[in-house]
Amino acid sequence: MQLPDKKGHFGEYGGRYISETLMPAVIELEQFYKKVRNYKGFIKEFNYYLKNYVGRPSPLYFAERLSDIYKSDIFLKREDLNHTGAHKINNTIGQALLAVKMGKKRIIAETGAGQHGVATATVCALFNLECEVFMGKKDVERQKQNVFRMELLGAKVNPVESGSQTLKDAMNEALRDWITNIKTTYYMIGTVAGPHPYPLIVRDFQSVIGKEVLKQLKKLPDILIACVGGGSNAAGLFHPFFKYSQVKMYGVEAGGCGIGTGMHAASISGGAPGILHGNKTYLLQDEFGRIADAHSIAAGLDYPGIGPEHSYFADKKRIIFDSVTDDEAVKAFQELCRLEGIIPALESSHAIAYLEKIKKEIKGKTVVINLSGRGDKDMHTISEYLSSNTRKK
Amino acid sequence: MGTELNSVPIIKMSKENKIDAVFNRLRTENKTAFIPFISIGDPDIDTSLEIARTLIKNGADIIELGFPFSDPMADGKVIQKSYERALKRKISMEDAFSFIKKLKAYRDIPVILFTYYNPVFILGEKFAEGAQNAGIDGILVVDLPPEESAELTKYIQDKNIYQIYLLAPTTGNERMKLILSYAKGFVYYVSVTGVTGARKSLPETIKSKVKEIKEISSIPVGVGFGISSKEQARDIGKCADAVIIGSKIIQFIEDDINDKRAIIRRIAEFSFDIKSSL
Repeated sequence: MQLPDKKGHFGEYGGRYISETLMPAVIELEQFYKKVRNYKGFIKEFNYYLKNYVGRPSPLYFAERLSDIYKSDIFLKREDLNHTGAHKINNTIGQALLAVKMGKKRIIAETGAGQHGVATATVCALFNLECEVFMGKKDVERQKQNVFRMELLGAKVNPVESGSQTLKDAMNEALRDWITNIKTTYYMIGTVAGPHPYPLIVRDFQSVIGKEVLKQLKKLPDILIACVGGGSNAAGLFHPFFKYSQVKMYGVEAGGCGIGTGMHAASISGGAPGILHGNKTYLLQDEFGRIADAHSIAAGLDYPGIGPEHSYFADKKRIIFDSVTDDEAVKAFQELCRLEGIIPALESSHAIAYLEKIKKEIKGKTVVINLSGRGDKDMHTISEYLSSNTRKK
Repeated sequence: MGTELNSVPIIKMSKENKIDAVFNRLRTENKTAFIPFISIGDPDIDTSLEIARTLIKNGADIIELGFPFSDPMADGKVIQKSYERALKRKISMEDAFSFIKKLKAYRDIPVILFTYYNPVFILGEKFAEGAQNAGIDGILVVDLPPEESAELTKYIQDKNIYQIYLLAPTTGNERMKLILSYAKGFVYYVSVTGVTGARKSLPETIKSKVKEIKEISSIPVGVGFGISSKEQARDIGKCADAVIIGSKIIQFIEDDINDKRAIIRRIAEFSFDIKSSL
């Protein structure tokens, strides 16, 4: 079965829950993408930029010391070595090419940690497009360096002061801008969420991750692990492997202070199906259907929803979703720094942390972890976390 | 809240939806309907109920009530702030139903619940039962296009509740036909490409779009988004069957947030002015 179906549904999830003003634009994008999706010229151009600009393929690195500890073969897919430092650029290259071909000159995007914002600002510089990024005011404050990077790249960063002033509110504001400027503007969504066809488009562009792993490993892995906020790096790693039923997949959500505390960002482990930002999917919400605030030490996971395809595969149990806490993620962060000389992003540290949770299961197995980004952006957060923990002790 | 309200039973006697009745009457009188919008619970439940009564007393033909949502993606600053004020006290859909029952006990004019889909979806069939019990005549779900409406339709179709659909300046002719084939009560034409909020000037295209709609369907057309003065209302009223005004009214609440009397007085004057111009 091909997913999504013609109306953009993944089983009961996905779809198009948007106001009428946006519908024609989303339909236009869907029809345009359908035309270019399998067009050789487009794929060639996309691959050209991935190779020469992003620096793909990213290495699949055998993590020797980590493997020793867990008595298994652990490979890290080094998306952290991409240009701009994360997997986000794979998607923005693809969508920028789409926007250019559709004749759109103005790009808007939402960002949480700022990684998607930076990746968007980067391709806008590359393709000479006007760029405005919406970012929650709280995120602007905690990710100052990325704000500066975006501005250096020529983007305008708009701090969003409504609601919880984080990623979901940035997305609300981006949607409001899009409704207002729909005729000239392309909305570059950064994850596998939003109205159809975005979950499909972002998954397609990110699937280069899993396709490369298939080639690089030269055999099937036993286990795949990826962190999940909206879920684009996980979708990219997992998607080419769905047809191999022997490959087990773990999506690691941000458990924040623990699922029981309510302070987390684990939509599947601690949420329920609902509708937000154009799609039906698992969401953090209260009993009245109001969206709850997410919490994670990793700003890139700090989102109360998840891509609809993940919700579908969660119900089918094809992907096992579980969570790790802030504390566990930071511990894994430190472990990878010292064992492998790699400073991972706090988001990716959640995937690393999951090794400890399934250490019995992975013995003797081949495991691929998506190291979706590098940790340079997190120095400030980590140093604050570590110093406040020392004080507590 | 809640207990005393149940003593006011709303019995649907006629099969005719009250929205149809209003438009039929106004059509014979050659008049345009005035549909004000306010949020339930802004600045608090009691005051918003008084505001709703004031609007009815001063000419509202139909009233549109917003259910405050945490993430109002299609709304501009004024309604966002209104929802934020209302959400300071957690308002449930039950509270909204109670509110509507109280209002209907005051005067039984058609009530349209304006909401985002998630608070409705989470209740499912219970929503439809509660809405019918409260006497809701129409529901406008801003993020629910006809393509995704099957689920809600299933619950409300036998309850004489109309789903009100939107048409936008971006909606092409073919899509217009599709949406109009679903439309009941009236169709809501969004006059500007943008979020809700008062505008000083409105696009010239409104009249030609309304004409285009009327060539396809005989259903009444309401025009909203951006209308803020009696001059604009009168002008739109020449081509449309209803004029919908929200942000401008809610601005009165924001402006005089600490002076309830002033809010009521200004809204009464504004409402009377608008209705007189239609």
